[in-house]
Amino acid sequence: MKALDIIFGLALAIGGLLVPLSGDAYLMGLVFQLAMWIALAQSWSMLSSTTGYLSLGHAVFYGIGAYVCVLLTGVVPFGVALAAGAAASAVFAGLIGLPVLRVQGPYFVILTYGLAELVRNVVMRIESALGSFGRMIFMVPSFEVLVWCMVALGILATLGAAAVRHSALGAGLAAIRENEVAAETVGVPVARLKLLAFVASATIPGAVGGLALLRTGYFEPAQAFDPVISFTIVTMALVGGTETVRGPVLGALGFTLLSEALWSSLPQLYMIVLGLTLIAFILFVPRGLSGLADRALGRG
Amino acid sequence: MKTTRRLACAALGAAAALSVAGAAWAADPIRIGYSMARTGIFAAAAPSQENPYELWKEQVNAAGGLELPGGEKRPVEFVSYDDQSNPANTVRIYEKLITQDKVDLLAAPWGTPMHLALAPVLQRYKFPMVGNTAASVQLRKVAPGYIWFPTSAIPDAMGPALAEMMAANGITSAAIIANELPYAQEFRSFLLPALKEKGIEVVMDESYPPDIKDMTSSLVQIRDKAPDAVIAMTYPSDAFLFAGQAKELGLKSPFVLSLIGPTIDAYRKVFGSAADGIIASAHWSPEATEWTRGKAFFDAYVAKFGEEPDALDSALSYMSLEILQQAVAKAGLDHEALREAIATGTFDTINGEVKFDGVQNDVTPTGFVQIQDGKIELVWPESIKTSDYQPKQGW
Repeated sequence: MKALDIIFGLALAIGGLLVPLSGDAYLMGLVFQLAMWIALAQSWSMLSSTTGYLSLGHAVFYGIGAYVCVLLTGVVPFGVALAAGAAASAVFAGLIGLPVLRVQGPYFVILTYGLAELVRNVVMRIESALGSFGRMIFMVPSFEVLVWCMVALGILATLGAAAVRHSALGAGLAAIRENEVAAETVGVPVARLKLLAFVASATIPGAVGGLALLRTGYFEPAQAFDPVISFTIVTMALVGGTETVRGPVLGALGFTLLSEALWSSLPQLYMIVLGLTLIAFILFVPRGLSGLADRALGRG
Repeated sequence: MKTTRRLACAALGAAAALSVAGAAWAADPIRIGYSMARTGIFAAAAPSQENPYELWKEQVNAAGGLELPGGEKRPVEFVSYDDQSNPANTVRIYEKLITQDKVDLLAAPWGTPMHLALAPVLQRYKFPMVGNTAASVQLRKVAPGYIWFPTSAIPDAMGPALAEMMAANGITSAAIIANELPYAQEFRSFLLPALKEKGIEVVMDESYPPDIKDMTSSLVQIRDKAPDAVIAMTYPSDAFLFAGQAKELGLKSPFVLSLIGPTIDAYRKVFGSAADGIIASAHWSPEATEWTRGKAFFDAYVAKFGEEPDALDSALSYMSLEILQQAVAKAGLDHEALREAIATGTFDTINGEVKFDGVQNDVTPTGFVQIQDGKIELVWPESIKTSDYQPKQGW
């Protein structure tokens, strides 16, 4: 399985990087979307799959990164703006991490969601106080460049998620997931590890948000902090399976392609299918697409 | 058995021959692509835009099709997708329409963010599109090229116009409540200095979140302060909340404006005579007799959909297609020729003459309408008004 995973991942990465050379705008749009959701779902999994702390507010990192990146675009070089977006999300996660991560279970879920809504409203207030009513973004790099960057983020997030899982950090996080009190008792630095995972899972979404908004060319807080982003991330990760690094990739792939096949003809049905799929997966396929793949290949 | 088969073969052959003949008869249709916010937060507004599109298509096809230079007519066909009220989807859909579906022409999506997100796409593919339901000072920053905005309801013009209208009607004090969404806030920021200039005192100035469910506390304050004017910078959903609660609490102010919402047919149906006297933003009215096409549009719309068109969005949507139609008749389907025709032409629309200076319509004046006896009447400015402003007589 390992080898197969690596071959599959490599093929996906190389394919994604080659697509901009085709010059096909539609295909590039699809790859952009795909890489974006892989990057987001993988980032989410760095915290939520490993520790079991389910974040329902990852849109906040996406939004903060987008906001910072949009403010800086045209002022500093594109790469710097993007890095600043990622850094801003990481810093924000670092600042709120300790208090937020003291809360567990359903309270953590609600807290992350509330936090994202809070920041969204604060940014809306800031924007209207600044006399800015939505920002048009000028001096955006070419779409090809944006696609390359997004694919790179997808790869980076996947490698990052793999590194987190297969390290001492990952072992510690798994211990937290299984029994936090026991983990602390045997000397796992619980607070520090959780904070590390939180910051790691916030960083890449910051850059992803920046790229996504540059692609749209127009920034509005309501759109950058859209809670649907958070819901979609969780859905993809659950559908893909939370036990492996391959899960979020399969989840993002499956959902993006499914939505692509449906939005053009039956957008209303798409939302229904989304709901049904989620219910079906939680009931019947708790290990997600990733678990299915294992079974299909006669393993696991 | 053999006979049956032979019969079937004959029938098949006949059907095939018929379909070939049919194909030869029907002229190649002109395909027009657009995306629409059929789901998501703007979904309520979509019919006010898509209905005029459908009406226009029906009228054009009934007249033999869309006219090209030289008089040739071809039927019109729509290719449309749902953008789920998300500008990122709008961008993808138009890229698909242009590069995959290879449509001949484009019509606009709903909403300012969608229009602004599209401007660079149109520029990249050098594909002209006449916008409609977008209004923001941001539009003025769009580089002239392949997109145009027919509306004159742009906040930097509306603020001073409203202040002038208020002063002209003897208003000396006003309370403002504004939705936090960009358009309302933009308007507010241009209205405040204009009011100050006219010496109109602002006794209250509050903003509220877009998903507000209760305005009682603000409205009670307004009732107690009893200003001459209440300026509610509403979006459609909170416009209903505002009117309902203002009626309940019995606001006494004679000058009541609700920014977007009152021009929707359902608004007057819900509030009946309580809606009389409410002022809203729009620059078109079916009551304007000098725009002969306007009344015809209104009647055809009511006949087809059983309700009145929205004086703002529906009128703009229809206008944008009138402009496109007249430009195509002159320049055909070639993108560059079409761009030139739209940029330099003068168009006869349901809202009177329209001509673009850069990206904007510089002919249609910024206006305000008032509901009077259940009708939408233009009350400002003088040059296009269909009725005089009347102070609101209770709810």
